[in-house]
Amino acid sequence: MNMMNVMNTTAQPIDDVWIPSSCSLCYGTCSILAHRVDGVVVKIEGNPESAVGKGRLCGKGVSGIMTHYDPNRLTRPLRRTNPKKGLNEDPKWKEISWGEALDEICAVLKKVRAEDPRKLVVQRTTTVTASRIPFQTFAAAFGTPNFSVSGGGQHCGNGAHLISGIMHASWSVVPDFEHCNYAIYFGASKGHSAGHASCSNMGKAAEARARGMKMIVVDPFCNFAAAKASEWVPLRVGTDAALALAMCNVMVNELGIYDGPYLQAKTNAPYLVGPDKLYVRHPETKQPLVWDAQSSTARPYTDVKAADMALEGEFTVNGTPCRPSFHCLRDHLRKFTPEWAAEISTIPATTVRRLAKEFGTEARVGSTIVVDGVTLPYRPVAAIAFRGSQGHMNSVYNFYAVDLLNHLVGAADVVGSCLGFNPACHGHPETGKLRYIPSAGPDGLMVTGMWMGYHYPYPPSEPRLPTNLGLQDLFVLGMTSPFLDSTDREEMWERFDLPYRPEVMVNFGANLVMSIANKEAVAASLAKYKFMVSFDLFLTETSNFADIVLPDCSYLQSLDSRSNFPFIFSLPAGVGEWCWPIRQPVLPPDGEQRNCADVLLEIADRVGFRADLNAAYNASLKLQAPHRLEGETRYSYAQICDAELKNNFGSERGLEWFKEQGLIKWKKKPAEVYWRPFVDVRVPVYWEFMLPIGNKIAAIAEPRGLKIPMEYYQPLPDFLPCTSHCCQKPDFDFYAFYYRDIVHTNSFTMENPWLDEAARLDPFSYTIAINRAQARKRALHDGQLVWIENEAGRKVKGRLKLTEAIHPEGIGIGAMCGHWSDGMPVAKGKGVFFNELLELDWAHVSPVNNNLDLCAKVRIVPAEVTP
Amino acid sequence: MLTSLSSGAPTNVRWDEVVDSAFVQSSVVPAVQSRRDEHGSACDLRVHAQLFGALASITTERMLSLVVPKPATVATVVAALGARLGDAFLARVVDETGAKHRYCRLFVGGVPIEDLRTPINADSIEIEMILLVAIEGG
Repeated sequence: MNMMNVMNTTAQPIDDVWIPSSCSLCYGTCSILAHRVDGVVVKIEGNPESAVGKGRLCGKGVSGIMTHYDPNRLTRPLRRTNPKKGLNEDPKWKEISWGEALDEICAVLKKVRAEDPRKLVVQRTTTVTASRIPFQTFAAAFGTPNFSVSGGGQHCGNGAHLISGIMHASWSVVPDFEHCNYAIYFGASKGHSAGHASCSNMGKAAEARARGMKMIVVDPFCNFAAAKASEWVPLRVGTDAALALAMCNVMVNELGIYDGPYLQAKTNAPYLVGPDKLYVRHPETKQPLVWDAQSSTARPYTDVKAADMALEGEFTVNGTPCRPSFHCLRDHLRKFTPEWAAEISTIPATTVRRLAKEFGTEARVGSTIVVDGVTLPYRPVAAIAFRGSQGHMNSVYNFYAVDLLNHLVGAADVVGSCLGFNPACHGHPETGKLRYIPSAGPDGLMVTGMWMGYHYPYPPSEPRLPTNLGLQDLFVLGMTSPFLDSTDREEMWERFDLPYRPEVMVNFGANLVMSIANKEAVAASLAKYKFMVSFDLFLTETSNFADIVLPDCSYLQSLDSRSNFPFIFSLPAGVGEWCWPIRQPVLPPDGEQRNCADVLLEIADRVGFRADLNAAYNASLKLQAPHRLEGETRYSYAQICDAELKNNFGSERGLEWFKEQGLIKWKKKPAEVYWRPFVDVRVPVYWEFMLPIGNKIAAIAEPRGLKIPMEYYQPLPDFLPCTSHCCQKPDFDFYAFYYRDIVHTNSFTMENPWLDEAARLDPFSYTIAINRAQARKRALHDGQLVWIENEAGRKVKGRLKLTEAIHPEGIGIGAMCGHWSDGMPVAKGKGVFFNELLELDWAHVSPVNNNLDLCAKVRIVPAEVTP
Repeated sequence: MLTSLSSGAPTNVRWDEVVDSAFVQSSVVPAVQSRRDEHGSACDLRVHAQLFGALASITTERMLSLVVPKPATVATVVAALGARLGDAFLARVVDETGAKHRYCRLFVGGVPIEDLRTPINADSIEIEMILLVAIEGG
């Protein structure tokens, strides 16, 4: 059906159309149909033609109308008249023209670019996936490496994305819902909440559960995923690695369950390791050696049949005693007994053993299945993790330990197993464009075929003295960084002789005062900028620090040739279709609203770096002749979108074709979906590269006074405690954590009246969840107003909600509530601002990937007299 | 998709025996080809380079021409650019081992080049370079 121009003849409206586009209420970016009648959008539904959402749309998506028509939307550029910046400072906004705004912005940017372009920080929200390209290209063309995505990454992905990239060549992981029989979730909610491929996954997960997939959810809180699970396993906050490692131990050392052929052929398990914990290498080629059981000699891994590679044994090579990596792993796991894990996690040892046995048995190691005529390995189990488990000091090992469960039984990117999101694509069948496949990198280990940026997870870059504000040049396993805003940022920059300081910020929609950690830390950082411009829909807590605020278009007024990132982010994994939807304007701008992408192009023209921006678009969109952007030609954003679509799908399928059709799709092949057996790459079950990286980082950092804790840089995972686990203060009995509420996205949807109403009806969204028995022990009651206070004395106030569905030591709070900006009156004063409890400094981040530690040891203090 | 399960398979599938070489990208490094430059020396490669973004900001020359002896690879050209523009430039393009940083995007005649070992079978080339640092969350 042509979606356009479906006339309702009885009512005879002038304008009655269903327009295919893309949602933007979260970064799932599901495909939608917007129903416009006489210039007003009256309904939004999922687009059944699209694989992104599969016609489903969540409560947030259908509520998008209310965000768009919010009377608090900005319609004119604003300039602050109060030069003082602070949490309690009124900017005293005055309306100005676009001409005035751009004159001032461009004068500042010209000056900074001439002095040192690195003084510019470009910041954007992750909620709008499509904003990635315009802002990434702008930063690259301007010449600054200082690009940040606010709380995104630091909270939800420096661990998850890193390890999903190294082990599955993708941004995140899910069970193969079509075929999985046993899924175990560690602090993840894939298929039960917002985020990557959210609506598609919700449908797939529901069908899997109905089919009989057993789902175990390991989480301190029994909410969105656990409530629908076969079993909820409550654990002490931040101890996921303890459970996962004990399960690995039981499988390997007690039950003898592992997939030897997988480990031989697809991992580094056979690589020989010496007493220095490093590979034993060929003296000339430097290739890692394996023990060839046929010839009883050590040979390069490339020269030995996988079946002949020893996985265990003690050998001596050129006088060096050595063992296969798997032998080291197996020995390493022995100390993680179920009884030990029970002490750490509070999960009974019997439960640990049962879960390990169930997972190992259900894996059906050795079985195959025929899919579309292709015989493939069949491993219908998946262990997945996400923000909850990796949001700790032990970010890397928590996730690594969980994923080891998959790799021990070969449940990686084969039928029924743990899948990366679409890591291998043959490309569009007519043009061949968008083809990407993982490939073998150094030591035969897998390099992703597609990634969100060029900071690839493997091979890691060489650590060096940092020249960027986030210090990612040094902490090469991190992506997003806390050090743009941390309380010790200046100390860090001085320590590493950073020759410049940030002076100007261009912000797109990020509300970092709320989304990173305690507001005082971030506010102090923002107040230091000499100039800040912010593209916003509303006046947020963060835009109140801006010098100029620009009124942005909403997603219903915007054009984007790639509303989703192809294809490792929002397209559902597993069988189905490749799908490329666009976003197109359903409504015109109101007042003087302008689309940020076009504004950035105009700024580039005015400042004089259009040629750089065209080159950046060419590089970022991989445009090739005849669709490359040339010289200083002043293309509009629509022309750039048109070029990208023609580049990928042929000259006949430009923007006009896509506006009519909404999307293009084609069928996935089994060898794309279940690519692992077809691609000659290995993944590390022994992270040998960690030790050299740690040593190199230490060699740079320690002479400058920053101690690098090397226990985080060992080749095999461990349980390492959070700061909160070490708290000895009396009365600090609880671990506070936040969870992502299913009805909200980041901090922005609280302003939506329908979603606010849904949240107010939910007993938990705006309250503080506490275990009922523990509350009663302390004479605390349902609805009581209390202070939650961290070790540093920071505190937040809210009303308790007593429930059996939370771990006895847990305090659960919905994420990023508690707005205080007058510019978001619906959101103002609702819920509890959890992030106030988070410290923002080196002591509270993973020393490996700089993920924030998202839990805090707290005490509860009544804020009112108990009736 | 149609599926049928081979339950209780007596032996495990050999993971290393189902690799479909047609599916795997070729590891052969294709050469850069272009038209012969009638005015160039048969022994030299004429390079016209354009630098963008951060690379342009650290040099005084954002467009430059140079001559590199043949046979040449992209690495040869990068080394020649480094010799002319200095260590600050080179450090942003390659790491200590000489490998190109992934975020340095390099195009020869509009074609992206990942492997600096790529040979150049031409008399003249146009090379474009830009640093495309990007990070993502969510």
